[in-house]
Amino acid sequence: MKAHWWKALGVVLVLYTIILGFLGPVPRLPILNETIRVLYFHVTMWFAMIILMTASLSYSIGYLANNSRLRDLKAKESAVTGMFLATLGLVTGSIWARFTWGAFWVNDPKLNGTAVTMLIYLAYFVLRGSVEDPQKKARLAAVYNIFAFVMMIVFIGILPRMTDSLHPGNGGNPGFSGYDLNSDMRLVFYPAVIGWTLIGIWIMNLKLRYTQLIWRKNEHLD
Amino acid sequence: MFQQILQIVKLNFSLEWRHRQSILAVLLYVLTTTYLSYLVFNGLISSETWNALYWIVLIFAAVQAAFRSFQNEADRRFLLYFSLVRPQVLVIGKTIYNFFYLLVIGLFTFLLFLFLLGNIVADPWAFIVLLILASAGFACILTFVSGLAAKAGDNPALPAILSIPLLYPQVLALSRTSIRALTGFSWSVNAPVMMVLLLLALVSLLLSYLLFAYLWRD
Repeated sequence: MKAHWWKALGVVLVLYTIILGFLGPVPRLPILNETIRVLYFHVTMWFAMIILMTASLSYSIGYLANNSRLRDLKAKESAVTGMFLATLGLVTGSIWARFTWGAFWVNDPKLNGTAVTMLIYLAYFVLRGSVEDPQKKARLAAVYNIFAFVMMIVFIGILPRMTDSLHPGNGGNPGFSGYDLNSDMRLVFYPAVIGWTLIGIWIMNLKLRYTQLIWRKNEHLD
Repeated sequence: MFQQILQIVKLNFSLEWRHRQSILAVLLYVLTTTYLSYLVFNGLISSETWNALYWIVLIFAAVQAAFRSFQNEADRRFLLYFSLVRPQVLVIGKTIYNFFYLLVIGLFTFLLFLFLLGNIVADPWAFIVLLILASAGFACILTFVSGLAAKAGDNPALPAILSIPLLYPQVLALSRTSIRALTGFSWSVNAPVMMVLLLLALVSLLLSYLLFAYLWRD
C-alpha cells in the first residue's frame, strides 16, 4: 500500500465521475429526468461502503484468528470510513428523494435497511467506547462486528425482496438497472464505484498510519 | 452434550425459582408500560395501534429480561461454568432457557393487552404461534448480545442499542404478519413469512454457537 499509483487512479476516477456525471449523456426517463445522475454518487458511494464494511468484517475474522492489534485497528478504521461514505450516500439520496418522491425520508425497505446499517455501526462504535481494556475491546468488537454484519446482510439483502420498494427498478418504477442502465451510464457507473472505493481506502490508510505513529511515539516514551 | 445442555436449562430454572422477585419485576415492568399505553391511547385503539404497541412493549421487556439473565453471571458464576462445560453448551442452554422465559413474558403481555386494550384479536391461536416464533428468534439474538453486553461492563444503554437494531428484521416481519392475526389469518398465505422467521432464528443461533467461545475467553 506504499505505492502512489492507486491514489492517483482514485483521484482521476472521481474527477472523471464528477465531470462526466454532470455533463455526459443520460437516458430521458419519466419522473427521474435529470435526477438520474444521482446514481453516479448515491449508489456508487453505497457500493464502496459495502466493500469497506466487508473489509472490516474480514479484518474482524482475522483478529479472532490471531489477535493482532493492527487487524483490530484496520477493522475499526474501515468501519469508520464506511460510515463516512454511508453518511454521504444518505445525504445525496435524501436530497434526491425530496425532489422525486416529495419527502426527505419515506418508509421504504431500502431506507429501513440503511437506517439499520447505520444504527448497527453506531452501536459498534459505542461498544468500542465503553470497554477500557484494549484486548477485550478488540475481541468484543470483532465478535459483534461479525454477528451484526450477517444480520445487516439479511436485512438489506433479503427482506426488501419480500416487499415492494419505491426505489427505481422495483414495483413498476422506472429503474436504472437491467434494461435501462445503458452503455453510456455504465461507462461512468463502474469507474465511479472503483474511484470511491480507492478514495475510501486512502482515507482509511491515512487514519491507520496516524494511529500507528501515535503507538510508536507512546512506545518510545515508555 | 445434550445432557449438559439440559442441566444448564434446569440449573437456570431452579436459580430463577430462588430469585422469584426478578421475573416479578419484569412482569411488573410489562404491567406498568401496558397501563401507560392504556392511559395515553385511551379511545385511540385500533387494530394497528394495538399491534404496534404490543411489539414495542414486548421488545423492551424482552431486552430487559434477557440482559438480566447474564448480568449476575458475568463475574461470579462464570468461572464455575467455564471449568465445567464448553461455552457452546452454555449458550445453547441459556438460549433454550430464555426462549421459555420470553414466551412467558409474551403470553403475559398478550393476556394483559386483551384485558386492558380490548379483545380485538380475530385469531388468537395464530397470534400465539407467532409469539412462539418471536420468542425463539428474540432468545437467539438477545442471549448472545446480552452475554456480550455483560462482558462490556455496566453501560446501562448498551443492551438496548446493541440488540434492538439486530431485531428489526424480525419485528418488521412479525408485526406485518400479526396484524393479520388481529383482522383475519390465513395459514397458507403466511407460511412463507413464518419460514423466514424460523430461518432467521436458526441463522442467529448458528452464529452465537460459533462466536460465543471467543466472547467468554478471558
